[in-house]
Amino acid sequence: MAISILPPTPAAPPQFHQDASDSEDEDDRVDLQGDIDMDQDTSESRPAKRARHIVTPGEVVTTDPQWMRGHGTFIPTHSLTSSPAITSTVAGTIAKTNKLLSVRPLRARYTPEIGDLVVGRIVEVQSKRWRVDVAAPLLAALPLSAINLPGGILRRRTAVDELNIRTFFTEGDLLVAEVQSIYQDGGASLHTRSLKYGKLRNGYFMSVTGTGGGGGGVVRSRRQIWTVSTAHGGGDVDIILGVNGYIWIAKHVEPAGEGTDVSITRIEESVSESIYSSQNDEIAASTRREMARLAGCIKALSEGGARVDEDMVMRAYETAVDMQYSEIDAGEGEEGEYLGGERGKAVIAAVIGTGL
Amino acid sequence: MVGLSLGEKHFIQGGIAQDLRSDGRKRLTYRPICVETGFIPQANGSARVRMGATNVISTVKAELGKPSSLQPDKGKVTIYVDCSPTAEPVFEGRGGDELSMELSVALQRCLLGGKSGAGAGIDLSSLIVVEGKICWDLYIDCLVVSSDGNLLDALGAAIKAALSNTGIPRVNVAVGASGDQQPEVDISDEEFMQFDTSDIPVIVTLTKAGRHYIVDATSEEESQMNSAVSISVNRKGHICGLTKRGGAGLDPSIILDMISVAKHVSEQLINKLDSEIAAAEADEDES
Repeated sequence: MAISILPPTPAAPPQFHQDASDSEDEDDRVDLQGDIDMDQDTSESRPAKRARHIVTPGEVVTTDPQWMRGHGTFIPTHSLTSSPAITSTVAGTIAKTNKLLSVRPLRARYTPEIGDLVVGRIVEVQSKRWRVDVAAPLLAALPLSAINLPGGILRRRTAVDELNIRTFFTEGDLLVAEVQSIYQDGGASLHTRSLKYGKLRNGYFMSVTGTGGGGGGVVRSRRQIWTVSTAHGGGDVDIILGVNGYIWIAKHVEPAGEGTDVSITRIEESVSESIYSSQNDEIAASTRREMARLAGCIKALSEGGARVDEDMVMRAYETAVDMQYSEIDAGEGEEGEYLGGERGKAVIAAVIGTGL
Repeated sequence: MVGLSLGEKHFIQGGIAQDLRSDGRKRLTYRPICVETGFIPQANGSARVRMGATNVISTVKAELGKPSSLQPDKGKVTIYVDCSPTAEPVFEGRGGDELSMELSVALQRCLLGGKSGAGAGIDLSSLIVVEGKICWDLYIDCLVVSSDGNLLDALGAAIKAALSNTGIPRVNVAVGASGDQQPEVDISDEEFMQFDTSDIPVIVTLTKAGRHYIVDATSEEESQMNSAVSISVNRKGHICGLTKRGGAGLDPSIILDMISVAKHVSEQLINKLDSEIAAAEADEDES
C-alpha cells in the first residue's frame, strides 16, 4: 500500500534529446538530386528505406534563384529585394519536377477530385440534400436528385421523397459514393447513381490518414472495391478503400435480386427496394476474425507509412495468415488476430521487405 | 459529433457478444502498452503511456509545503487532468473541463483513498519532512494528448510510471529550530529519493455493453456502453478504489463478478506494466 522511501541514489542527469538530423547547408540538399523528375520515384519507393529530408513550416528550402516555387511553398515578401528564399508552408518532403520545387505534406486533408470513390458519413440532413463528412476541409453535399430513388432510376423526384428524406439516409449513416463535381470553394458534390454505391452495412469502419509525403495512405488506384475470399473459412469479405482515407470492411452479401429472373431494365428497380434498409445480417465468428485481420493489416500499413491499395493489403493479409500458421506450429498461436504493436510491425517489415 | 451508423453499432455489439471484437481482441485483452519515462527534465518524474491510439502524459512535481492543520502528519497529493484540444476538437476552450473534472475525481478516488487518506495507494505519511511544519506536496498533472478510449486506465498507468520515475530531493533539516519557528531546510540537488511504486494500484475499467463487459474499450466501443466500473487493484489483489460511470444501473451480483474479473485482469496488467516501466527506465539510462 505504502510508498516507502528507498535509500537515496545519485540523481540521473536530465536528458535532452538531441536532434540527430542537424541539417546541412540547405542549398546542398536541393542540389543533391539535380533536376530530375522525382514523381515516379517517390510513389514507388518505400519510405522505410529512404532517409527523407523533412522540412517544417517556415524553413527556408532554398535561396537559389533557379527554382520556381510550387505547392506547399511561398516566398516571404521581405526577401523579394534580396535573393528570393523559397520557404516551406507545410511539414513534408521536397519534391522536384524539373525546375519546379514543391513540398509534399506528410499529412494532409483529402482534396476531392471528380471521379474519386469516397466513403462518407452523413452529418446533417437538409431539405433537399445531405451533408456528408468525407474528411475534406468542407462537408460534401449529396443532393436528393443524385441518389437512386426506390422504384427505378427514371422516377421523378417528388415532394414526398423530400419529406421522407430520412428513410434513405439519416444522420450517422455510412455510404460509398463518387465525387460528381467540385464547387468553386473546393467542396464536393457526390452521387450514388450506381449499384456499386449506396448505404454500407454489416461491417467495420476505419480511417487512415496520409496523402502526399512518402506516398502513404490510400492512393487512387485501378480497383478500390474488391472481395477477398479469406482464409480459415472466413467466407467472402468486401473491402472498400475510399480515396479520402475512410475504409469499410464488410461481410460480402449477395445482392438480393440474384438468382431470380430480373430483366436488365428492371434490375435497378428490384434492388432499390432493399438498398436503403438498415437491416444487418448476423456475422459468424470466423468471418469476424478475418475482417479483424484485414483491418489490422490496413492499420499497420498506414502506421508504417506504406501505400494502402489492393496489392499491398492482399500481400499484408497473406503474410499475416502465414505468420499465424507459423505461430501455431511454434505453439503460441492464441492471440492470432490482433495486429497491434510488434506483430503489425513484423507484418509490414515482411511486406515491404519482399515485393517492389 | 455524429454517432455511429446502425451497421457499425450492430457490428460492435455482435463482436462483443461473440468474444471477438472489431480489432481482433477478446473481451478481456488489453491493447499493447508502451511506456516512456523521464522525458520532461523540468519535472521530478514524467511518463508517457500509449495504448493503441490513446496517448497520455503524466508528470510529478514536488514542492515543499505546510501540512494542513487537520492532518499534521501527512503530505498532500493533488491530481489534475487536462484534456488537450489535439485529442478532440470539442476540448477546445472549456469543452474539455467536464471530462477533465470527471477523470481527476475518478483518479483521486482510485488512487488516494478516502478523505482521511486511509486505504490510499500513495502513503501520505511518507511525504512528511517535519511533522506539522514541512511536507512534500506532490502535484500530479496529466495531459490527454490523443484519445481512443480507456483514458482512465491509461492515466492510472501513466501516474504509476511517473511516480516510479520520480526523484525527490533529500532534505536536510537544520537542527536547533524549535517551538513555533519554521525550521530551516536545505534541499540537496545531488541526492534523490525514489518511491517504491510496487504497491501503487492499477486501474481496470470494465465497460459493460449489452450483456457482457470488456476491458480497454476503444472510443467506438465506449459509445455503445451502458455503464462502466473502474476498479483499482494493487499487487496484493486488494481493491483500493472503485468508481462507476454511465447512467444504467448494475445488479450488485454483477459488480461482485466484475470485481473478481478485474482482480484477475489486474495481475496480468501489473506484470505487463512493471516490465514496460523497467524497460523504459533501462532505455532512459542508456540514452
